[in-house]
Amino acid sequence: MSNLLVIKEQLAGFFSRYEVYVIAVLKFVLTLVALLLINSNLGYMSKIDNGAIVLVVALLCAFLPMNLIVIILGMFILLHLYALSLACAAIVGMLFVIMFVLYLRFSPSDSATLIIMPICYMLRLPYVVPLTLGFVGSPMSCVSVACGTVTYFMLDYIKNNEEQIASYSLDSESALGSFKYLIDGLLGSDQMLLMVITFAVVVITVFMIKSLPIDHSWKIALALGVIVNILIILIGCSALEVDLSIGGVFLGTIVSSVIVFIIQFFIFNVDYSRTENVQFEDDEYYYYVKAIPKISIEAPDVNVKRFNSYEDGEYEEYEYDE
Amino acid sequence: MLNEDRIELMTKMAAYENRQGKKDISVNSYFRGDYISFQVLKSALYATVGFALAVAMYILYDLEGFLTDFYKMDIAEFVKDIGVKYGIVLVVYLLLSYFIYAYRFGRAKKHIKKYVSQLKELEELYEWE
Repeated sequence: MSNLLVIKEQLAGFFSRYEVYVIAVLKFVLTLVALLLINSNLGYMSKIDNGAIVLVVALLCAFLPMNLIVIILGMFILLHLYALSLACAAIVGMLFVIMFVLYLRFSPSDSATLIIMPICYMLRLPYVVPLTLGFVGSPMSCVSVACGTVTYFMLDYIKNNEEQIASYSLDSESALGSFKYLIDGLLGSDQMLLMVITFAVVVITVFMIKSLPIDHSWKIALALGVIVNILIILIGCSALEVDLSIGGVFLGTIVSSVIVFIIQFFIFNVDYSRTENVQFEDDEYYYYVKAIPKISIEAPDVNVKRFNSYEDGEYEEYEYDE
Repeated sequence: MLNEDRIELMTKMAAYENRQGKKDISVNSYFRGDYISFQVLKSALYATVGFALAVAMYILYDLEGFLTDFYKMDIAEFVKDIGVKYGIVLVVYLLLSYFIYAYRFGRAKKHIKKYVSQLKELEELYEWE
C-alpha cells in the first residue's frame, strides 16, 4: 500500500512538471485511437482512410482544444457517411448539431467524454464513464454521457446496416422513404434509451452521495452507483423488452467499478497542482516566474520491534523507526 | 529589493488570472440580472436552432406523406401544434439555463471575493514596506 502511495505522489509530481506535454500526448493518443476506430468501422471514404492522414490529424489535434477535436472527429464521421449515403450523412449531421447545441450550453468542459464513451463501449466497459464522471464531473455531465451513448448506438446501427443504407441512396425512388427508415434505426433503439436513462441516474447518484459530508462517502457512492446501474438495467430490460446479456452487464459493471476504484485512488486527495509560468510587474520590476509545486514523497514508516533474550532471563526491547 | 512574500502572492494571483480568473472576471463585469438574462437569451438561440433541426427531421421522417397531404392539411393547426411544442421546449431549456447560470454567477463571485481579499493583502504588503 505504501509503495502505491509513493507511486501516486510520483505521478502527481511528474504531471505537475510536464503537464503541457502529458496533456498533448494524451490528446494525441485519444484522437489517434478514435480516428483508427472510425476508419476501421466506417471506412467508406477511401481518401481519408489513410494512415498518413490519420497521423497528421492526430498530431495536429494534440495542440487543439478538446471541443475542436470533437468537431474534427465529427467531420471525419460525416465524410465517411457522405461516401455511404447522402441522406444518412444529413440525418447524422443534424443529430450531431442538436447534441452539440445541448452539450455545449450545459457541460462544455466534458468534451473528452463524447470521444471516450464510444471507445469504452467498444471495450464493453461503458459503465466506467458515468461512474467516473459522478466523481470528477457535475450532475450536468449526464448530458455529455447521453450524447456519447447516442453517438455510439448511431454508428453501431450504421455499421450493422451499411448495405441497406447504401442501397437506399442508389435507388432514387426510395430516397424519400429512406429518411423514415434511417431515423427509426438511428433513434429507435430501446437499448440506447435504457442506457441513456441508466447513466444519467448513475452520474447524479454518485455525484450526490460523494458530496455528502460523511466518512467513506466516495466508497459508498461507488457501491451505490454499481447497484443503481445493475438494478436500472435489469428493470429496464424487462420493462422495455431489451435483449441484453445480464451476465455481461454484471461482469462489465464489476470490472468497471474496479477500474473506477483504481482511477479514484489516483485522483482522490492528490494535489495535481500545475507548474505555473506567469508574468507580472510592479513599480520596480518585471517578473517572469516559473512556479513548480513542491512534492514531498515520504518514505514509508517501518516499525521494527526486536526482542533479544539474555542468559539471565531478562529481556531488552529495542524499538526504532526507519 | 525583492520581497518574497509579495512575489509569492502575486504569482498565485497571476496563476488564477491566467486560468479560472479569466472567466470569473468576465462574469463579474456584469450585474447578476444582466449576466443571467444574457446567458438565458443565448440559450434561447441555441434551443431555437436545435428545435428547428428537430422539426426538419420530423418533416423528413415522413416526407412523402407530408408532401402529399400538404395541400389538404390545416396549416394553422400544424403551426399552432409546432408552436406549443416549441414553447414547452423553450421553457424547460430556459429554466435549466437560469438555474445553471445563476449557480455559475454565484461561484464566480465567490472566487472574485477571494481575489479581492488577496489584492487587499498585496496592498498592505506595499504599505508595510
